[in-house]
Amino acid sequence: MKITFPHMGNIYLAIKALCDGLGIEYVIPPINNKLSLEIGSLHSPEEICLPFKLMIGNYIQAIEQGADTIIITGSCGPCRLGEYCEMQMKLLKKLGYDLDFIVLDSPTDIGIKELYKRIIKLTSNSRDNIFNKYKALFNAVKVMNLIDEIEASAHKFAGYEKIKGSCKNILNQCKTDALKFDKPDEMIKMLKNYKEKINHVSIDINKNPINVGIMGEIYTVIEPFSNLYLEDKLMDYGVSSYRKLTPSWWVKNTALIPLKINSLDIKRASKNYLPLNIGGHARECIGEAVLSYEEGYDGAIQIFPMGCMPEIVSKSILPTISKDLNMPIMSLVVDEMTGEAGFITRVEAFIDLLERRRDNVLLRS
Amino acid sequence: MYYLGVDVGSVSTDLVLVDEKTNVIEKIYLRTKGKPINAIQEGFKILKNKYDSNEIKAVGTTGSGRQISSTLIGADSVKNEITAHSIAALEISNDVRTIIEIGGQDSKIITIKDGIVTDFAMNTVCAAGTGSFLDRQAERLDIPIEDFGDYALKAKTSVRIAGRCAVFAESDMIHKQQLGYNDSEIIRGLCDALVRNYLNNICKGKEIVPKVFFQGGVAANKGMKKAFENALGFEVFIPENFNMMGAIGAALIAKSTVKKRGKTNFKGFNISDSKFTSNSFDCEGCSNKCEVVKISENNNPIGYFGDRCGKWNNKVFDGLENLA
Repeated sequence: MKITFPHMGNIYLAIKALCDGLGIEYVIPPINNKLSLEIGSLHSPEEICLPFKLMIGNYIQAIEQGADTIIITGSCGPCRLGEYCEMQMKLLKKLGYDLDFIVLDSPTDIGIKELYKRIIKLTSNSRDNIFNKYKALFNAVKVMNLIDEIEASAHKFAGYEKIKGSCKNILNQCKTDALKFDKPDEMIKMLKNYKEKINHVSIDINKNPINVGIMGEIYTVIEPFSNLYLEDKLMDYGVSSYRKLTPSWWVKNTALIPLKINSLDIKRASKNYLPLNIGGHARECIGEAVLSYEEGYDGAIQIFPMGCMPEIVSKSILPTISKDLNMPIMSLVVDEMTGEAGFITRVEAFIDLLERRRDNVLLRS
Repeated sequence: MYYLGVDVGSVSTDLVLVDEKTNVIEKIYLRTKGKPINAIQEGFKILKNKYDSNEIKAVGTTGSGRQISSTLIGADSVKNEITAHSIAALEISNDVRTIIEIGGQDSKIITIKDGIVTDFAMNTVCAAGTGSFLDRQAERLDIPIEDFGDYALKAKTSVRIAGRCAVFAESDMIHKQQLGYNDSEIIRGLCDALVRNYLNNICKGKEIVPKVFFQGGVAANKGMKKAFENALGFEVFIPENFNMMGAIGAALIAKSTVKKRGKTNFKGFNISDSKFTSNSFDCEGCSNKCEVVKISENNNPIGYFGDRCGKWNNKVFDGLENLA
């Protein structure tokens, strides 16, 4: 059994740590690039959203490197991503690949027994005892949390950094270095070092950068290739960006759903505009937009793939929030046809708008 | 003393010279034809004969080709066209509230309140209803694009054309022609369809408050102005230099940048004689495989574009170009 998985931001580091810890063979598909998008678009239905296409690209590139088992998370949710595993199984079978799928659904949907069975299947090739298996899982979660923290700090401090580009450099270096370690303990040690490094990057506390909240469909906000490296661009512009949706947020949120104490702040903030869960992360998007205002950010950017139903709903609510709270919000739609020039123009113009707006408000007060 | 604004768009490359009081002294409108470097050099050749490089106090670029043109001419400011257009419009009239801008391949709406941009939108997934489409239809009907608007005004009724998709609009137009409608009715129908598409698509959720400015190349089309006025129910203003607004804005932004910094980076008009070459390659540094474009002036690399990590981008500034 050789495991592979679709990319989503830095999640590959956590899965690497998990598989290394368990001693299972795995293949990390090449980081999303033009080729994976091309392969994915070729085999996917035209109208399906960008995440589906990129995932198919990842699978096929990994299969070429010898992978035979795919693990993904499902959600049985009202968003179609919850059904992707089924569609992708059929699609890959039609293409003639003989594969095993291990879908990790939440226990509320498939029952705890079924989930346990699937996890056993995943770990059956590992000869470790149960204690070590738990340790591997624990370490993987630790890696995921660490890299998410490092990334969040880099995005935040980019607005304050004294030497331009230092945050981006540390983040990029961290990601490259992390791949070099085959022992989870060592990887964690290295990530902790980088966490120290990024938290002590030389910053100018007197700077007052533009702060932007980033929200929207979970895959496209987390996977940088799909949003044309929006966060990297904001770092280049010296803008501090904040994103709530991360893999660690998702895990924590999913774990707390049965107890109904997940994302209480988001639920409260979205109450006036979208009190119900309509699928995907629409309610989260609305809640985060309101929270962005409460945190005092200058503006918010929503990103979603073309055809994403839940986000289309939130997109039509956002102008009302923008008007009520007097905070600019921009929506960006991405798909494989997205031209980079128009995308950059919009981001630049939005940052310009926020800057000029702030100057103007300051002048008048 | 003049300020130079360069707007390299998809269809046209505009150059303007404005003086201290923002009077437009010189305007040059050239077709980009997919070769922005040639277009800029051509424009500079014209300017070189009339003005001295020392007379230029600041240079700004905008438009989709703003990065490449900035490297080429040594611009003081590089700004996106949305900011440039709004700054130019506000310079002319400070009570403008909405800007409708339709260019070669994109259309935008910019809303302004108290002299600052509060919101904007740009066409995302479709370019139906922009200048290129009108250009093509004019060509197909064998009517000079300059006269397109007059035809639309001649029509007494409007034929309903499906305007969501440029290709389907074209088939619908052909169908209507074959049914026997005359050209002017069809052209008016086309203008109405484009306006309808613009209002339903780009302006969704945006408020259009007068005073409205209509700028960009398509504003030359009187039929479009009329169609907008019919749909909105109030007058739409077309500024005198409607097709140069981006370049004027770029010049104004450069002016304020240089005021802050003190000196210009302008390389002079002589670059019109330089030989620029561009070649692209796939960077093999990582699995991102960025397409990198290298621009050289007389075989000296002056700029790299397209890489994500900055490995190439920063080369020129670090003085490492010889290692490339």
